[in-house]
Amino acid sequence: MRTVFLASLRTHIPRYASAAIAVAVAVAFVVVVGVLTSGAQSGLMDGLGAPYRNADHVVSAARWPSSELDPKAAIAFTERHGDGAAATGRASLPVRVNGRRLPEATVGPIATSEEWRWQKLSSGRFPAGTGEAVADVYVASAENIEVGDRVRIGEGAAARDVRVVGLVLSPSPPAQASMYVTWPQLLQWRDHLHLNAVAVRGEVGQLPGGAKAQPPEGFAAERLTYVQNRVDSLSVMLLLFAGIALFVSALVIANTFSILFAQRLRDFALLRCIGATRQQVVRSVRREAAVVGVLASLTGTLVGLGLGHGLIALINALAPTVPMGAAGLPVPWLLGGFGVGLVVTMVASWLPTRRVVRVSPLAALRPDTAVDAHTATGLVRLALAALLLVTGLVLLGTAMVQGSTALMVAGGGSVFAGVLLFGPVLVPRLVRITGALLGPAGRLATRNAVRNPRRTATTTASLLVGVTLTTAVLTGMATWRSSLNEQIGRDHPIDVALTSAEGPVATDLLDRVRRTPGVERAISVDGAVARVAGLGEPIPVVTAPAAEQVARDGGAFARVEPGKIRIDSEAFGKGLSLRPGDRVTVRVGDRWAQLRVAVGTGWGPAGVVAPETLATLTDTPEPHAIWIRASSGADPARLGGDLDELADPVGATVENGLRTWESLDQQLGIYTWSALGLLGIAVVIALIGIANTLGLSVLERAREHAMLRALGLTRRQLRRMLVTEAVLLSVAATLLGTVIGVGFAWVGYETIVKRALSDATMHVPWPSLGIVVLTTALAGLLAAVLPARRAAQVTPAAGLSLD
Amino acid sequence: MTTTPQQAASARGLTKTYGQGDTQVHALRGIDLDLPRRGFTAIMGPSGSGKSTLMHCLAGLDQPSGGTVTVAGTDLGTLDGDALTIFRREHVGFVFQSFNLLPMLTAGENIVLPLELGGGRIDDAARERARMLADVLGVADRLGHRPAELSGGQQQRVAIARALITQPDLLFADEPTGNLDSTASAEVLDHLRRSAREFGQTVVMVTHERDAAAYADCVITMQDGRIV
Repeated sequence: MRTVFLASLRTHIPRYASAAIAVAVAVAFVVVVGVLTSGAQSGLMDGLGAPYRNADHVVSAARWPSSELDPKAAIAFTERHGDGAAATGRASLPVRVNGRRLPEATVGPIATSEEWRWQKLSSGRFPAGTGEAVADVYVASAENIEVGDRVRIGEGAAARDVRVVGLVLSPSPPAQASMYVTWPQLLQWRDHLHLNAVAVRGEVGQLPGGAKAQPPEGFAAERLTYVQNRVDSLSVMLLLFAGIALFVSALVIANTFSILFAQRLRDFALLRCIGATRQQVVRSVRREAAVVGVLASLTGTLVGLGLGHGLIALINALAPTVPMGAAGLPVPWLLGGFGVGLVVTMVASWLPTRRVVRVSPLAALRPDTAVDAHTATGLVRLALAALLLVTGLVLLGTAMVQGSTALMVAGGGSVFAGVLLFGPVLVPRLVRITGALLGPAGRLATRNAVRNPRRTATTTASLLVGVTLTTAVLTGMATWRSSLNEQIGRDHPIDVALTSAEGPVATDLLDRVRRTPGVERAISVDGAVARVAGLGEPIPVVTAPAAEQVARDGGAFARVEPGKIRIDSEAFGKGLSLRPGDRVTVRVGDRWAQLRVAVGTGWGPAGVVAPETLATLTDTPEPHAIWIRASSGADPARLGGDLDELADPVGATVENGLRTWESLDQQLGIYTWSALGLLGIAVVIALIGIANTLGLSVLERAREHAMLRALGLTRRQLRRMLVTEAVLLSVAATLLGTVIGVGFAWVGYETIVKRALSDATMHVPWPSLGIVVLTTALAGLLAAVLPARRAAQVTPAAGLSLD
Repeated sequence: MTTTPQQAASARGLTKTYGQGDTQVHALRGIDLDLPRRGFTAIMGPSGSGKSTLMHCLAGLDQPSGGTVTVAGTDLGTLDGDALTIFRREHVGFVFQSFNLLPMLTAGENIVLPLELGGGRIDDAARERARMLADVLGVADRLGHRPAELSGGQQQRVAIARALITQPDLLFADEPTGNLDSTASAEVLDHLRRSAREFGQTVVMVTHERDAAAYADCVITMQDGRIV
């Protein structure tokens, strides 16, 4: 039997190649996740404790991360200890270098004493006192900051000019900032400062309220656990996708084994004929599966290890601020990836090998050489499928009524399993419908595609998984996004508002604003400066009948009834004492009106009133604000910076609502693209599966193809026939997957989104879904190219005489 | 076309060698042959005598190493790739030893397959012809069945109908009775002879069975790549 085992390995191993690739890709996926996880962990741990290395105690929020240190108390506490304490934290402040505003800039403290200083000098020197600053070396290289540059930190009266005297490495994520200044200087912006910890030497004394003191090791451990949990939950997410990829590759490998064993049935029967026991035959094929599993998993592990380290090197080169440390050899991950690959291969080959047992020795003696691969769909299978479908649908219905995510997931899984089991009935019908529109080679292709329903179903199942999830993600994200867009449109109706509480804005300012890159439309808003009872400073009271030209909510916020004044509740901070419904007196010069307060957000420190109301307050309204609609794709930070430049000299303030849009855009974009990218791996594996099935079928049908060629099918027609078969399979899987995916997204919308955002509407991204269908059809076509070429190379005479 | 009316196909100085040097095998060593129109010719010979190779060369399935083959007045050497395929589709029909029907098509669909491959529509005339052929060959009541549901003899008769549907200039049958019992063989051979006589078809049959060859109008015997 050993001779047979070795000989069949030699003969058949090449035919396992694509199935092995599928497994290897999935294993590599797992290993890459492992390498990146350990890289991220070691990166985040590096330098975590550096700022606290010389402390006896670290004071931080008692219930971190759900609460923070009270800034005022923490500052007072630090001040009390003098040189015996150093705080870590940062202030988000506008920072301008050579007149250009840095995006997302933060300023942190740097100690003057060696003992508390944790930043490492890269060039220049450390700051010695006020008026000097150092910049983080990576921020500096991204923003072209050099030693000697003048930097303006803060705005208005709190603005200070400092000189950059050095560049530093600051590898401690909790304490990291873009610029560092000395502690006394940083206290000039004490209202903006947030502290996360204070390192103390000696006695702690009276703690600020809501704070705790712990040894530095304890503090570092607490932060580490937190970081680790975040990294771990990310790894779990990634592993979910890896699991999908593994499932798909299990389908591929199961299919490969069934096809190969069906083709070799006569060999097995022959072995039985000459005296091999069932046990011997089965053991031999299982050992074959084991060899495939070991080779594939080993390849996957090595490739994943290489790829993971390559990615870390790439991330370090492209985005040096992302904390990625050396990953080393994450042994548990490597073993896990290898083991999972081997187990998946063995499990996937279990059923097909069991079928081998059933072969009767007589099969070898039958004259007919044709492989009768037709498989019937058992009643048990259909009944189970129906049961799963019904149960799943009931669960999904309940989930929608109760808003239960767990029920939704269970129901979705059940429905999907039902569809997979129904595959042998469902998929061939779909293929027939799709193929009905094609020419002669296409009709043959349709027949070929459905001649073995179970094989067809398994082949498409792998693609079905990927496409269903992709479609569900696309539709879910589109729905989520359009709902959020409406919500944010209401919260931030104006992208950027430029408001002047002093004089009117000059007309040429409007022109200059309109010429600023990134501005799509800008309108000037007329009004007058008024004293509103309950507000400390005078504000412009404006009316904007033309607001709909620029507002994201269609101008609804600016349509105010006469007798009311609408105030931006966020523009005045938490100190705003006015509440909706209050009656306030609004005075412009010697004229006044009693108005009822209404609130909204997103247009800056100005009160919006009806035109009639404004007319009672002034006869000569002047432009006091400019409201701007940014063009899509405008960089919010840059646009904000540019408009700051224009607003600053005339004493106007800038309210930038675009940032919220940007971060939402980025977040949803990151979610969508990462989900798609990760699912893409599963889709690629599925396509390898299609190529594989087709390649094996081509071997099986060599005689048929030769006969067709003898009858007058041209090479091109033969190639077209095979390519059509693959395209039919992938299109059928894609159409089915799209329908199920959109259905799942609808359930998800009813269960989750609608509850979170009450007036959300379902949004199906047809163009994206169209692209998915086209892409998979095209990929199916590509998958068939190699098998089709190989098939077309057989000459009729050779094909007819081959056995 | 410069068709010589009496010749359906002819070969001049036909040679075919496989392999190189020591392992070289001469399958055909200079064959000169004329196949008359409307005749039933049998090519006989033991295994390895080159009869299958000769048929493959005459049918344009294989390229000869030397010499020329003319079928229906066309020198096959001047055709290549697709042109040869299309020529075969239009002028040559085949019946194989192992039937070679497509398992996923019904008998009826198998019969009209060559017309479909040509991209032509299956018109009433074609349908009528298919029915007539099925009638003559005695498979008219089996047209809706898959090959797996037919007996060997029935499968071979469907294959003959498939070969005749295009009214080819030449019908090649390669050991058509090799997989059949004697009754089915007799039926198939009888049908081949009637195709030649009643439909005026040129039929070339390769066989090593003397009984089968007895049905033919003329028998060519081969040995070691030569006609003897």
